[in-house]
Amino acid sequence: MQQLVNTALGGLTLGAVYAAFALALVLIFRSTRIVNFAQAPMAMVTTFIALTLIDAGYSYWIGFAAALLSGLVLGAVIERVIIRPVEDKPEINAVILTLGLFITLHALAAVIFGNRFRSFPAPFGLRGLEVGGTTIRLTTSGIFTIAAVATVMVLLLLLFRYTDVGLRMRASAYNPEVARLLGVRVGRMLTLGWALAAVVGSLSGLLIASGGLVHPGYMDSIVVYGFVAAVLGGLESPVGAVVGGLTLGLSLSFVSGYLGSELVALAALLILMLVLTLKPGGLFAVASARRV
Amino acid sequence: MKARLLAPVAGLLTATMVLAGCGAGGDRESDSGGEGGGASDVGVTEDTVTVGGHFPLTGVAAPGYSEIPTGAQAYFDYVNAAGGINGRQIEYIVKDDGYNPTNTSQVTNELVLQDEIFAMVGGLGTPTHSAVVDFLNSEGVPDLFVSSGSLQWGDDVESKPYTFGWQPDYEIEGKIIGQYIAENMPKAKVGLFLQDDDFGEDGEKGVRQYLDKQIVGVERYTSGNTDVGPQVAGLQAKGADLVIAFNTPSYTALTQLTSLALGYEPTWFYSNVGSDPQLVGSLLNRFSEGAVEGDNSSLNDVLTTEYIPGVDATDDPWVQLWQEVWDQEGEGGELTNYRIYGMSQAYAFVQALAAAGEDLTRDGLVEAVESFEDVTGPQLAPFRYSADSHMGISGMRVVELQGGKAEELTPVLVSDIGDAPIEEDSSDQASDAPPEGGIPDGS
Repeated sequence: MQQLVNTALGGLTLGAVYAAFALALVLIFRSTRIVNFAQAPMAMVTTFIALTLIDAGYSYWIGFAAALLSGLVLGAVIERVIIRPVEDKPEINAVILTLGLFITLHALAAVIFGNRFRSFPAPFGLRGLEVGGTTIRLTTSGIFTIAAVATVMVLLLLLFRYTDVGLRMRASAYNPEVARLLGVRVGRMLTLGWALAAVVGSLSGLLIASGGLVHPGYMDSIVVYGFVAAVLGGLESPVGAVVGGLTLGLSLSFVSGYLGSELVALAALLILMLVLTLKPGGLFAVASARRV
Repeated sequence: MKARLLAPVAGLLTATMVLAGCGAGGDRESDSGGEGGGASDVGVTEDTVTVGGHFPLTGVAAPGYSEIPTGAQAYFDYVNAAGGINGRQIEYIVKDDGYNPTNTSQVTNELVLQDEIFAMVGGLGTPTHSAVVDFLNSEGVPDLFVSSGSLQWGDDVESKPYTFGWQPDYEIEGKIIGQYIAENMPKAKVGLFLQDDDFGEDGEKGVRQYLDKQIVGVERYTSGNTDVGPQVAGLQAKGADLVIAFNTPSYTALTQLTSLALGYEPTWFYSNVGSDPQLVGSLLNRFSEGAVEGDNSSLNDVLTTEYIPGVDATDDPWVQLWQEVWDQEGEGGELTNYRIYGMSQAYAFVQALAAAGEDLTRDGLVEAVESFEDVTGPQLAPFRYSADSHMGISGMRVVELQGGKAEELTPVLVSDIGDAPIEEDSSDQASDAPPEGGIPDGS
């Protein structure tokens, strides 16, 4: 029983991180229509910026804020400098560019921050909470992770559904030509989309690093699982991304605990294949109008 | 024009002859001898001998392991500064394989065919070195002192006549750990936490010889998957109050963090590989409550094993020698256990070179190592090398970590693979000291 609870709680905490990463993917997909593979190394770089500050003696929260801020800047700069030149080309060009960016950022981080494992501090305690005499695998840091992801999800929902900016961002992504004719400054919206997505990505980087070990490759597995989570949710919906992330975290934790940790990657792939075959639009897809 | 053509043609001819020689499938008796004295084999000249090694200098396995070749290099420089061995300077070429077997094949090809090394020294890793061990043997390149405790480097001399293990294999480590627990903690409910490859398998085989009945649960982790929560929760659920772990150092940190979150407090017994207090301590100190920076107390009360004196044993004459070597020739930074590991291996290689004599050949080197019986060095227990076995160091002692220092719990215990008994070491190697000047002579 205790094992069941602990496996589930561990899966939920991990799922929250996948969800945060999936939210970043959803955000960028909704506002630019591309999938950003460089999201993980971008988050890794900003996490290392936070770690550098913390190691220099600043508090965790200063590092935290600096990472989010540098995420914002990094996202905007990458969009303006690297993605903008291929904006008019087919979407695949931009996607391939993000793959190139993945490798470049990795290599740069190894040169600048070094290749060794380093520990990253946690904002709150790492001891499990005590419930009725037994310790359960839910730490204060874990609760913070889940709360942070829930907040981001709500903010994104509000942004896309109820704000003017959100509407303009969606318009620029869906149909740049028409949006431009209607007076939307499409370029600016694309930059904003990248910047915001990078902030959410940085958050997921910080959340998974907290109370654990980081090295330039520590986000790599998150790319795969975050992507699966986003696809589960349909790549469009913030709620879908979070549900997808939590479902994936839970399933993988149970696979690892009861079937064997060597099957985790296989299980993720299986889930991805099943969803793409049975519900290609994701679990939360609305039936799309027939194209004629 | 003719003279310029000659060199490549000669090179081609030599290559053909080498290849032809290898057709015999490593039957080394048949092609030994017949060569003149002096500089007499690939990679050897009048005044140099070139050797190489593959190590993860970048990537996830780099922390710790990338320091091993820096230690070896420092010791070779130390020997070179004193005139080398038999008048030859040792040139050591280190290549980065990133702990990726595909890269290992490539860099080993470069080392053997392009840099023309005389021997491979200390090539690191089970999956990585497995990818090149057949190539090295078919080329007849001595493959000394593989940095891995897998059984396969020494238990089949016929198929791998040129390969030698170095550190105690994981099976005898498992046996020694198993016997210690069976004798001293017969009531313990034992859980096993194993890396899902040769490392965990060989260790488990050894442990099960002595405490099969005490084992209540076995969990395996896949290297690369950093979420070990489900595995640790599994051991907790089985009620294990003592966990024997065959894992790498970062997983030691991860299991400690996870058990903190789970409120799980068994006695931990980490195999030698995963227990470096300096490295793991540097990862964990940030998280341990009330720890003083740098005192490495985060692994206090952890049990582990030891087969060469570590950096904490500042009174040991070997460690004093390593400190002197590092101060004189090191590339900066602190002396670490990984650097000591590299130096200890380099010391054994220098012993082999010295024993192989002035007429240095690859087969001569192999024969020299096979007759290493009475050779002493930094290792606590003697080597097992013979014409029938290429297994390395024969034993270790059980220690408990306190404040980053190892406190002895048993004398040095020696054994061998299979059902060989465990005995107290009678060679007294653990209390010897290095020769005057720190360089072995040829005897």
